[in-house]
Amino acid sequence: MPDTNPTKKRILLVEDEESLAVGLEYNFTEEGYKINWAKDGREALKFIEENSYDLIILDIMLPYLNGFEIAAKVRETDPQMPILILTARTSAGDKVKGLETGADDYLTKPFHLKELLLRIKGMLKRREWYKDTTSDLSVYTFGKNEINFENLKCKNDNDEFTLTPREAMLMKYLINSKDRIVSRKELIEKVWDMNPEIETRTVDNFIVRLRKYFETDPSNPSFIKSVRGAGYLFSVKPE
Amino acid sequence: MKKRHSLLYHIIVFVVAQLVWLSLLGLWIYWYVYNYIVFEKVGDQVSPYISYDITNVVPFVIGLVLLIGLSFTTSVIFRNLNVQLRLTKLYDNFIGNVTHELKSPLSSIQLHLETLKTRDVSPEKSNEFINLMMKDAHRLRNLIDSILGLMAIEQKRLVYDLEICDAGTMIKQIITESTEQFHLSTDAYNVEIISSSEIAIDKDSIKIVFDNLVDNAIKYSVNDVKIKMKINSNTKKIIVDFVDNGIGLLPKEQKKIFNKFYRIYNPDIPNVKGTGLGLYWVKEIIKSHGGKISVSSEGKDKGSRFTIELPVYKPAENRYVNKLLKNSRKQKQKVTADA
Repeated sequence: MPDTNPTKKRILLVEDEESLAVGLEYNFTEEGYKINWAKDGREALKFIEENSYDLIILDIMLPYLNGFEIAAKVRETDPQMPILILTARTSAGDKVKGLETGADDYLTKPFHLKELLLRIKGMLKRREWYKDTTSDLSVYTFGKNEINFENLKCKNDNDEFTLTPREAMLMKYLINSKDRIVSRKELIEKVWDMNPEIETRTVDNFIVRLRKYFETDPSNPSFIKSVRGAGYLFSVKPE
Repeated sequence: MKKRHSLLYHIIVFVVAQLVWLSLLGLWIYWYVYNYIVFEKVGDQVSPYISYDITNVVPFVIGLVLLIGLSFTTSVIFRNLNVQLRLTKLYDNFIGNVTHELKSPLSSIQLHLETLKTRDVSPEKSNEFINLMMKDAHRLRNLIDSILGLMAIEQKRLVYDLEICDAGTMIKQIITESTEQFHLSTDAYNVEIISSSEIAIDKDSIKIVFDNLVDNAIKYSVNDVKIKMKINSNTKKIIVDFVDNGIGLLPKEQKKIFNKFYRIYNPDIPNVKGTGLGLYWVKEIIKSHGGKISVSSEGKDKGSRFTIELPVYKPAENRYVNKLLKNSRKQKQKVTADA
């Protein structure tokens, strides 16, 4: 009997190793998720076209289309879809490529079941939080900048561009905490869900990128300011 | 910086180097001929002592030979560099495939063990997980065996446990075991013994040969696999024909199929896992038995025919097999003494 419970989170598992997929499918079902399993790239795209998902788990070495290609195609239509890459490829180059293509997280095989389940939980929680906070404010304008949190498209004084989901999440969190100092630790906790691979330096790098997008003079920011020893402060001076 | 190591980069460098050489050569010939003509015309007037002796041509010819020699050497270096690049690429692919082949079953085993440990799994599901784990463990064992087996053959450390037996009976027994191992029904294969003779073989190694051929026949077939085998012999050799109904091989693939790390990609069956070692291992085993293996195919989707030739055992004639038998006996004695 098909499971029609609408509250269940839907996960698309794209994995060509049958025995691994059987084990994952069982565990995800036990956790209360609804699972679709695609054995190759083509099948994955078909599933994505016909259904809506809350999260996609992708292997990289897949028949027809590899995981990077699938992630890129998903990002074209859905910039906010949480994507976790689960692969045997461990090189730093692959990790960087995966994250650049649009994956939100990268876990290498062999992995611990508990860790995988926690990461999935965290990603789904962040998606929910993002959905909730954008439902009341889909377009935000400050200075000469405009951010659309639905499609992640942005405008500044002289350019149009698209934010990555993580950049959007960080920006959203800063906007929600307007005029309040937010520590790096808090950002790691809330935006990166305490991912052990994230260092405070990563947060700083993201802030640098956001300043480049939205500040007229990134070295002398007027919106995203640093507060020595405390963190960051987002504020908009009335014009 | 990575681009600097690409094949295109090396081709461009090679072409530019050759153009430089040729231009230099052209300029040199032009300069020499031009000066020669000038000297011929006005040399006597400038200095009556200048002679046009034949010895003047010698440095020119030696120079030409040296330049051509240098150009030839550059070509050889370029060719070797390309071979090296191709090998590096194949090796990288191999490492990627082996990593995948090792980590995937390992992940699956770990996942199923953690599931059994942390969840209340029903007996039916437990049984399913255990079967999957056994399948993965078998896959891991095969991979490790192939790597270690090949290393032993390549380093000539492997001593075969040869036995003299009737080729037809032994090969039929081996193929039956192989097909049973891969759960093929008896309708899926047929062995015809036309004539047979005695051969000296290591049964376990020859089983690896047929395991690989059967495994490939299954993996590279779109429809239900059908294997036809014919065993024939003449005074010198046993000829085994192994014919499958798989996707077949293109002529360029037939040439490379026994190369180390070589793998075929077919979009009709893109999910074939492997390392590119299987048929290389098969070739090495047959070679070390004093035989040879070849492949032919009528083309795409028309199946493949592997032909194995093994020397007939004749104690007074076959030196190679006798040497293998001697080594095998020595090894057996050593093992008995150690025990």
